[in-house]
Formats: sequence, structure tokens, C-alpha cells
Amino acid sequence: MTETAVQTGFNQDAFDAFLAARDEPAWLSDLRRAAWEKFLELPMPSRQDEEWMRTDIRLFRLDRFGFPAEAEASQLDQAEEGLLRQGVEVGGHTVAVDSRPLASELSDRLREQGVLFGALDELVREHGDLLRPHLLARAVDPFQDKFAALHAACWSGGTLLYVPRGVEVEEPLHQLSLLSAGGVELGHTLVVLEEGASATLLAESASLDPEAAGLHCGAIELLVGPRATLRYVNLQNWGTGVWHFAHQKALVDQDANLQWTIGVLGSRLAKVNQHVALVGTGARAQVNGVMFSEGRQHLSYHTLQHHEAPHCTSDLLYKGALQDDSRIVWRGMIKVDPGAQKTDGYQRNDSLILNREARADSIPGLEIEADDVRCTHGATTGRVDDEQIFYCRTRGMTRNEAVRMIVAGFFQQVSDRIPIESVRVALGEAIARRIREYE
Amino acid sequence: MSDFLPVAAVSEIPDPGKLLVECQDQLVVVFHVDGQFYCLDDVCTHDGGPLGEGELKGCVIACPRHGAKFDIRTGAALTMPATQATRSHEVKVEGEQVYVRLSS
Repeated sequence: MTETAVQTGFNQDAFDAFLAARDEPAWLSDLRRAAWEKFLELPMPSRQDEEWMRTDIRLFRLDRFGFPAEAEASQLDQAEEGLLRQGVEVGGHTVAVDSRPLASELSDRLREQGVLFGALDELVREHGDLLRPHLLARAVDPFQDKFAALHAACWSGGTLLYVPRGVEVEEPLHQLSLLSAGGVELGHTLVVLEEGASATLLAESASLDPEAAGLHCGAIELLVGPRATLRYVNLQNWGTGVWHFAHQKALVDQDANLQWTIGVLGSRLAKVNQHVALVGTGARAQVNGVMFSEGRQHLSYHTLQHHEAPHCTSDLLYKGALQDDSRIVWRGMIKVDPGAQKTDGYQRNDSLILNREARADSIPGLEIEADDVRCTHGATTGRVDDEQIFYCRTRGMTRNEAVRMIVAGFFQQVSDRIPIESVRVALGEAIARRIREYE
Repeated sequence: MSDFLPVAAVSEIPDPGKLLVECQDQLVVVFHVDGQFYCLDDVCTHDGGPLGEGELKGCVIACPRHGAKFDIRTGAALTMPATQATRSHEVKVEGEQVYVRLSS
């Protein structure tokens, strides 16, 4: 493994220098200072907390990381196009290395329609008044825990997608976030769709060195206005040395639609809170998760479908396959507020274990305070069925071919829900490459 | 198989006693009982609890979360709720130094 670069650390001097170098609206600097105070005040999460008791971060040393260094244009040459963009005609794209924007494009037509897409820290300087009501104000709580506070204080780069009222963006937009060896990524994603707007954003992350250490401490905010439609795909494909901490939250307003697909393949350890709040009557959210873990990876995803308004629908399906000594923890909750009558909530998590040493923890939960709802959940965990393998082998397949086909079939249910072909293909091929030879 | 790696001085681990150490990016617990040294993953196979924080009685360590017990000599699970052994590692002592070789 590549040695982690020793950086200056997240200390007061480094923060002061970071803040002084930024040309930002005063309200944003004030928010950063408040979050920094909270970061200093809060302890690291304890394994006594239910949320952290299955996720061991004792080997994580925050002092080995610091504020991202300046990106060099030469790093753009090392950057690949990304998995999700292949074969897709995009309306715009951004590339960043270690939270530093390197490239940003948006079609003239979308620009003329008032769409904003690019690096958040650049656009917030120009559109501060527009973004102030949304940025770390409505969705993600900047003071939720130490990682949220660190992110809120120190984020840089990031991505903004703003679609004005009634504008329909047909071509997908693409965002690629990269990490250098030993690098730090603190990008913030903010998506704001005004009433009746629609858009598709394909976001993905990768490491320039697939085995190097790194840190991602990020946040995603998806604000879907009334009758708007957002399709958001987030493929986490960091290298195997990366610590990944993230708070992600969507607010879905009246009669709006959100389809949120996550692909989780990378990182050494991932601890993610994914929260969908249905805040307007008739809001609908579909959440799809595709996870594959290997080696000693630990992937911990905590989902919350929060029904705050009546007549809303949420449908979550997470599927994970595990091999080697890896572990996946999924802890999901459907929470229904007292006034959220006629809620239709569903959550399901399936795990397929490819060898004895891997471990999956599925913890579904319901917290219902309304009395006229339909909420269901389920979880399954199993190994590859020997009888299925035997059947495949009687049809002339090798054991390895059979395992690959069974794994592909396992993911088919969630794959069928993803309407974007490039995403289906990228996830399918990436998983197929990872499956070991089980001869 | 990996090499033996130095993890602690003999004097750092009382008898009886235990010490949590970092070895090749993993946390393992080294036990010292009746003059012998043993090493286990710092993982309860029930729900991943930190065995190193548990109570040691003779050659048995109890997980601090739910009380599952393991034999420190072999890693074998002795009581519910654990049903699977936790991984044990080879230990050797040379002079004042304790070495551990991680199992694959």
C-alpha cells in the first residue's frame, strides 16, 4: 500500500489559513466557523452508540489527514472518463481531484435555460443569495456528529446542480470526484430542483491509485421541489485504502419523484447515513442500492425513509454480495410521523455471501406513529445455493461460471429498477470483475 | 503466511493480563496467562464486539457486550450467543519481545 502523505492536520491554524484564502459570502464563513467550533467540541463517535457499534474506526487516524492540497492540472491527464459516462451523451460534466475542481462543462442550451452546474465553491460566490436557503440549511445537519461538522467547516470543491422552475434537463449530467494517493476529498453535492423541473445526475468517485490511503468526508443534499423529478446515481468506487464518511439527505416535496441509486464498490471502510425525507403530500422516492464487498472492506449504510407528509410512497431495495473477509452492515428505518396517513413504505435488504468468512448484518426497523399506513420490510441473507450450482454444472457450466451467473441473477432485481443503461452495465461489469475464481 | 512481527514488550502485559495491539492494520489482543502468550482477533464473532475490553478469567475471555466466551488458546467459542471461533494467531517470545504472526 502506498504510504499516506503526512499532512498538516485539521488544526486551528490550518483552518484559519483555509478560511482566509477563501473568497466567500459572509454567511458561509460564519457557518464554517460555527461548524468548526462544533468539530472541536464533539468527540469521535463511540462504539457505545448503536449507530457505530458495528463499525470499528479505532484504526482511523484523523491526524494523518489535512486540508486538500492544490490540484495540479497534470492530474487531469491521469483521470479516466469514469464508468457511468461511457456511451452516454451528457449535458455537462465536472471533474475534481481532492475536492479541487479541474474541469467543468455545461451545454450552452442548458446555461441559457438558467441551469447552474459546476463546482459548488465557485458558484456559491456568484449565486450566494440563491443558495443560502439551501446549503446545509434544510437537509444535512452540519452539527450532527464530528464528521458532519468537519465537512461543514472544511468542505471545498463540490458540485452544484440547480434547475430552475419548469426546466426539464433531458441529457444526464456527470460528476467525477477523484482522490490522489493519500489525498483528502471533502466535496459537497447540492442539487436543487425547483417546481416542475427534472434532471438526471450521474455522480461517481474513484481513486487515482486503487490501493492508496485517503479520506472522503462528504455530504449530499438533494432538494426536489414540488412536482419535480430527479434521478440521482452515486457510484462509490474509491480505492481500497480510503476511509469514507458521508451524510446524505434528500427532501422530496409535494408530488415530486426521486429515484436514488447507489453503487457501493470501493473504500476500506464506509460509514454512510442516507436519509430520504418525504416532506410534501404525494411525494415518491425509490432507493436502489447495489453493494459488493471484498478483502477486508467494511461497508456500513444506515438508511432512513422519513414520511413527514400524507400519501407518500417510499420503496427501498438494497442488495449486497460479499466475499473474502468483508462485512456489510445495513441498518434501515421507516419512520412515519403522526400526520403522515396513507403512507406506503417498503424496505428490503438482501445479502448474498460468497464464502464463509464474510459477514452481513441486516437490521430493518419501523417506527410508525400514524394509524392508516402500509409499511413492510424484509431482509434475507444466504449463501450461493449448491443445488443451483449443481444444476448449472449439469448444463455444462464450470463452477465459476455458475457463481457469476447466480450473482448476476441476484442483482437482476435491483438492476431492473435502474432505467439508465450505462449505470446497469457499469455496475454489472464492475461486480463481475471482482468475483473470485471459486473453482 | 505472514512473518512474525514485534507487537509489545513482555513487561507491557501483566500475568494475567491482555493488551490491544495494532498489527499490519489490524487490531488483535495479546493475552498473557500463566506465563504463556496467546493472540486473538479483537472481534467477537457474535456481533463484532471488542473482545479486548472484556473480562479475562483463566483462559477465557468474555465479550463485554453480550457475554459470549472464547478460549484464548484456540479462539473457540465456548458459550452463546457466539457460535463461531474467532481467529487466533501464533505468538512467540524472544527475549523481552512478543511477536505475532497473523493467520491468513
